[in-house]
Parts: sequence; structure tokens; C-alpha cells
Amino acid sequence: MLRQPIQLALLLILILAVPGLADENAENANESRWQLGAALGYGIRSNPLVQSDDIPIVVDLDIAWFGEHFFFDNGDLGLTFADNSAFTASVITRINSDRVFFGNTDTRFVVFDSTGAPLAVPTLFKPPDRDYAIELGVEMLTGGDWGAMQLTAFHDISGTHKGYELYADYSFGWRQQRLYVGPSFGLSYKSAELNNYYWGVTPEEAGTVAFPYEAGAGFNWHARLMIGYQLDKRWAVSLVAEYERLNDEASASPIVATNRVLGWFAGASYRFGR
Amino acid sequence: MMRRFALSLLAIVITATAQAEEMKLSVKPLLCITDSRNAVCEMSFLVVWESGESGYYCLFSDYHKAPLRCWTEEREGRLNDDRAVRETFSFWMTGTDTAARLAEVRVEVLRMDSDDRRRNRRTRHVWDIN
Repeated sequence: MLRQPIQLALLLILILAVPGLADENAENANESRWQLGAALGYGIRSNPLVQSDDIPIVVDLDIAWFGEHFFFDNGDLGLTFADNSAFTASVITRINSDRVFFGNTDTRFVVFDSTGAPLAVPTLFKPPDRDYAIELGVEMLTGGDWGAMQLTAFHDISGTHKGYELYADYSFGWRQQRLYVGPSFGLSYKSAELNNYYWGVTPEEAGTVAFPYEAGAGFNWHARLMIGYQLDKRWAVSLVAEYERLNDEASASPIVATNRVLGWFAGASYRFGR
Repeated sequence: MMRRFALSLLAIVITATAQAEEMKLSVKPLLCITDSRNAVCEMSFLVVWESGESGYYCLFSDYHKAPLRCWTEEREGRLNDDRAVRETFSFWMTGTDTAARLAEVRVEVLRMDSDDRRRNRRTRHVWDIN
């Protein structure tokens, strides 16, 4: 029901933003438009799916370019249509992040069915695959001495899950010269269409091992703590821990083993061009 | 006359080069970090120098035209310099010729956040601190 208003709002924003694109060549003399970095270390992001592996993090690249209006930020493409002392607002195209878990699942012989009863014959089972979704949305950034807030609303434009997500994140950082401590937390609302596409199970997928399941809408919440220490202009070491609680509708799915996603990373990062 | 002038000039150059090679200058700390909440670093710099030979040496910084301090017939020295720092600057040592820098150390000021809010948006980079 919300799809049409959201799409109309995005279209209106794009139309309003177009006249401002002529200023794209304006340069900020003090800051490079490029933001390039690389991190080397070790960490994992747990996978809440059944028969799945955690996602290892060893090398991570940071590639971003920020123009007056257009920007590219690690896969997100943005068009900034408002930037003032109160907030910055952009239209953004991105790839949905829920898909990432489905690339690390295993095929195994299962000896119990979805009710826990033993199967007569061990059966091969693999959690169903899911596609990437391309989403279009609006992001608003604001901040001050009180911290920073990020608000987003994204809708599927690829016809994959046909749903939407609303997201809010608040962060506050303390710095004591080289040492930085930055906690953040927030929540996201996943529509029934989005939730059901990724976490639901169709009768065709269910077979004898899983039961058909239809997921409704729900709220995820997350918390994150980052501790960083700047070694010099370009090198820093950092430790990050992240917790995400899946919504109850997703957690109740037969292809979900746990209702939480834990992530951590420890390593050294290098920032180019400073 | 010209030969004498050329030899004198050569002697000055050689002396300056020798001094430059021997002068050691160290400054701690070398990095000052600022952000939107702390735009200025209140720092106490420890400046230590050591030369291969005794002489007249002066310590300068970008903050003053006049030397911070000069030493006569010394081969080493130290100074504590307390100051509020906003931009990258240098300390350097000279001999009698204050135009010739015998050793120079740069103190970097690093602004860790940006006026562009988009650079601080939460992305999928777990390690990213800025």
C-alpha cells in the first residue's frame, strides 16, 4: 500500500535535484573527493541461517567518491538534493544486505523432519537461495554536539522482494587525541514483503525437512561499539563489535537457527591520500 | 680576491652541510588530532636537539619569526613548548645563518571528521572509524 507514495516521493525528489547538478564541478579545496582505504585483520559475522557458515572478514576495502551532488560509497550510489546546516538528504540506490547470509549455506544430509521426528531416509537439504535486491530510497543525515543520526527509507525497485525498509541509527563518538570510542545503536523496520522473501519458506522449498512459513513485518535492532587508535596520519588499529537482533517474524522461520547476528573485527587500516 | 671569496663561500657551504648532517632534532608528539568538537589541540611539545659539535644554535617554529630559544656553545638542548595547535607546522634548527635549516621536524594536524556528513554515514564497513 505504501509503495506508490514512496515511489512518487522519490520521483519528485529526483526532479527537484536535477537543476542543482550543474554545480557538480565545484571543488572543496581542502578535502579530496576520493576516500580510499583498506583494512587487514580478522573478524567474523555470524550467520543466523540453519546449515550455514559464519562470514569471515580478513580484508576490507573502502572505496568512496563524494561530489557536490553525486556520490559513490562502497556500492551505494547517491544523489544529494539538500545539504544545509540542519541536515543532508540524498536519494540512494543500494543492494539489500539481507542477501549476504544466503551465500554461505551448506548442503547436508538431514535425519529429522521439521517437527523433529526421525526421517525414514536421510534427506539432502540446503536452505533456499535468495537473490540480491536493488533498492532505491531516501537518506537523511543530521548531527551536532549531541551525536549523529541517520534515517533511511528504501524500497525494492528490482522486483525481488517488492518490500521496503525503514532504518534509524544514532551514534556518538568520544575522542581523546589518538583514541576514539564510538558506540551506536538503532533499529530497522522490515516490511512483510521483504521479510517474507528472505526469511519465508514456500511450500515448494519446504519439502520434508522444513515447513512452509510466511513471515510478517517486524523490527530489527542493533548496537555497535568501535574502539580505534590512530597510529599516524594514515595507519590506525581498530576493534569493532556489533550485535543485531532479528525480528521475531524472521527468527521463527524454519531456515533460521538463531535470532541474533554477532560481528567483530580487529585489525589495522590504512587511509590513502591523507 | 674572487678566489678568496669563492673559498670562503665553499667553507660556509661545507660547514653548513656538516652541521646539517650532524644535527638531530626530535619532537614529541608528532601528531595532533582534531575534530568538530575539538578543533584545537592543546599540546605540550618536547623538543630535543643534538649536534656533532658545540656551537651557536637556534630553535624556530612556524608560529614565531623570532627563535623560540638560542643556545651558545652547546651541543645539545631541550625545550618544552606548550601551545594550541590548529594546523600542521614545523620546528627547525639553525646555526649562525638563520636562513639555513640544519634539521626540521613537521608536526601533523589531522582532522578526523568532515564537514561533509555523507563521509560519516554508516556503511557496511565494520572497521571504518572515519
